[in-house]
Amino acid sequence: MTTVKAQQRTIRVPLLSKASGQKNVILGLIMLAALLAVGAATVQGFLSGSNVRSMLLLGAFLGLASVGQTLCALLGGLDLSIPYLIGSANIGTLYMISSGVPAGMAIVITLVLGIVVGTINGLISLHLQNQALIVTLGVGFATVGATQVLTSAGASNAGGTSGVVPDWLANISSLSGETLGLPVPPVILIWLVLAAALIFIMRSTWFGRSTYALGGNRSAARLMLISEPRRWVTVYALSGLFSGATGILLLGFTGGAFVRVGDPYLFLTVAAVAVGGTSLLGGRGGYGSTLVGVLVLIALTSLLVGYGLNNNAQQFVLGLLIVPLVGFYARNPHIRQQI
Amino acid sequence: MKQQSRFGRFTSKSAYAFAAWGLLAVLLIVCAVRAPYLFTASGIGGLLVSAVPLVLVVMGITVTALVGSGVDLSAGPLMIFVNVTLVKVLFDQQIGSPVAVIAWALGIGVLIQIIQAIVITVARIEPVIVTLSAFLALSGINLVILAQPGGQAPRWLAEWGSGRSILAPMTIVLITAILGWWAFTRTQLFTNLRLVGSNQRTAFVSGVPVTMIRVVAHGISGLLIGAGGLAYTGQIASGNPTQGGTYTLAAITALVLGGISLAGGRGGVLGSIPGAIAVTLISFTLTTFSLGSLASFVVQLSYGLILVAALLISVIIPSLWRKRQEVKAS
Repeated sequence: MTTVKAQQRTIRVPLLSKASGQKNVILGLIMLAALLAVGAATVQGFLSGSNVRSMLLLGAFLGLASVGQTLCALLGGLDLSIPYLIGSANIGTLYMISSGVPAGMAIVITLVLGIVVGTINGLISLHLQNQALIVTLGVGFATVGATQVLTSAGASNAGGTSGVVPDWLANISSLSGETLGLPVPPVILIWLVLAAALIFIMRSTWFGRSTYALGGNRSAARLMLISEPRRWVTVYALSGLFSGATGILLLGFTGGAFVRVGDPYLFLTVAAVAVGGTSLLGGRGGYGSTLVGVLVLIALTSLLVGYGLNNNAQQFVLGLLIVPLVGFYARNPHIRQQI
Repeated sequence: MKQQSRFGRFTSKSAYAFAAWGLLAVLLIVCAVRAPYLFTASGIGGLLVSAVPLVLVVMGITVTALVGSGVDLSAGPLMIFVNVTLVKVLFDQQIGSPVAVIAWALGIGVLIQIIQAIVITVARIEPVIVTLSAFLALSGINLVILAQPGGQAPRWLAEWGSGRSILAPMTIVLITAILGWWAFTRTQLFTNLRLVGSNQRTAFVSGVPVTMIRVVAHGISGLLIGAGGLAYTGQIASGNPTQGGTYTLAAITALVLGGISLAGGRGGVLGSIPGAIAVTLISFTLTTFSLGSLASFVVQLSYGLILVAALLISVIIPSLWRKRQEVKAS
């Protein structure tokens, strides 16, 4: 009798946790639908082809930048170096291209450097897990400072990097980009394919499952012979890689290099993860949730632009709205329940 | 003998501040070589004028770190919010009397921090998300209020920044804050605050009003950050909406240098004040090298490196210390 009961319980637990994860996604989708409905009703041309395209394009950049943040959050860490790495990759790549390095080569070098900085983040914060936030902030600031020193040493106009972005890169990520004749910038498709792959990897492979296991319960994961140092460093290295990639792709979007191009992503990546319902304490959520979070944030931003708010006013409103959005489902338990 | 043991207790209790004092000593030696005029009365006065806003902000985030809310990312933009509202809103309304200006600066700091505390404790949302949202919202509203650096501070406040003697108003503000802190550490409130920071559950089951303590802690932090905004306005005698992020980073660097535990409960201004002065001295020292247009990038680079290095030191030194004590004991 007791064995039957125990069996029932072991079956029920994973089902329940899966259902609660889906609840967040469904809540997010309802929020997205509501935002789109409000937008369509109050802003002219909100659901027009060109606006949807630009929303998806901005979503693709945010989505790519949030890959690393999602993985770090699943382990219970955060990566605040993302905006600085994006800015560094942005000016670094164009600097290399304009000083004669072939574009393909420059991109590979930038991506490798992204992985290197991410690995440094991972190695340092491995033993300072409560301070991952500060470690990544410091490493990010050092990186952006070093990049600016290197790219503007000897130049007459410090801080500015001029150069010509290759046409194919501009086509990948600019609003007028085309994929095989269709008026869809390739970066959107790259993002969607990557999202599908990532959701699959996190659900069904050893890498994905062991990441959840570590974030959920460190000691239990250790007993399952999951190497915490290896996983932690890999995740931060991936975050560095995707930050670098986002920085390069933003080059094609803006057509020039600007070190502060990454600044909005400091807040937006964390917000996308939190609004999607991924716990910042680790172990719960996933890239599917972040996908919904990204779409909600982009729709919200687009709505605020539609209401005629400038960049600074948008920041203000977005900052005020995120707390209630997160409060919807990502609340901590009361101390009474924590004892 | 008793004296010695008391000294021993003091050093082991204050080992956390090692990195800050060490760096401060190194920087002072560098300054003595490269810029001896720093050690004249006007040199020290000038250094204090440039350090006081940061010192006050760091004292502010020390309180929130002690009570266990982690790093307050919104401190820099909050200080700037006080600055831009003082020079734009109050000055435009012809409000310039010291009482009104000081009340506004301190009041708005306390109010915004208490709102954040209530969201953290009552709505129970992760402190990181709350302070990051406040960072974004305040940075945005700062630029809405004042689009670019400019505006004017009331004359009595603007004169603070020109104080080139040691006993300037800025020094008096600093001394008041330090004496206030000393009195604050003598209270039961401070003990409870550290208890809540080091173990919230223990505090809760011991009957400490956890929520109340955390709200009060954030209020005190707001008071100090508001005073920081006042001092900053005095320092630059105008408004500058763009420096929020930089101040947050500088404050966090000083906090980490000062060895304050970001998990809560451990540390004090004995570490964070020298930390803040050291951070100010870094940018001062760098200006003595002729870096030209690269200066701001080098400052950025060194803040980042020092932040990481300080973090490593502040973790490694106490653990080495503990090991030595264990070896001694065995």
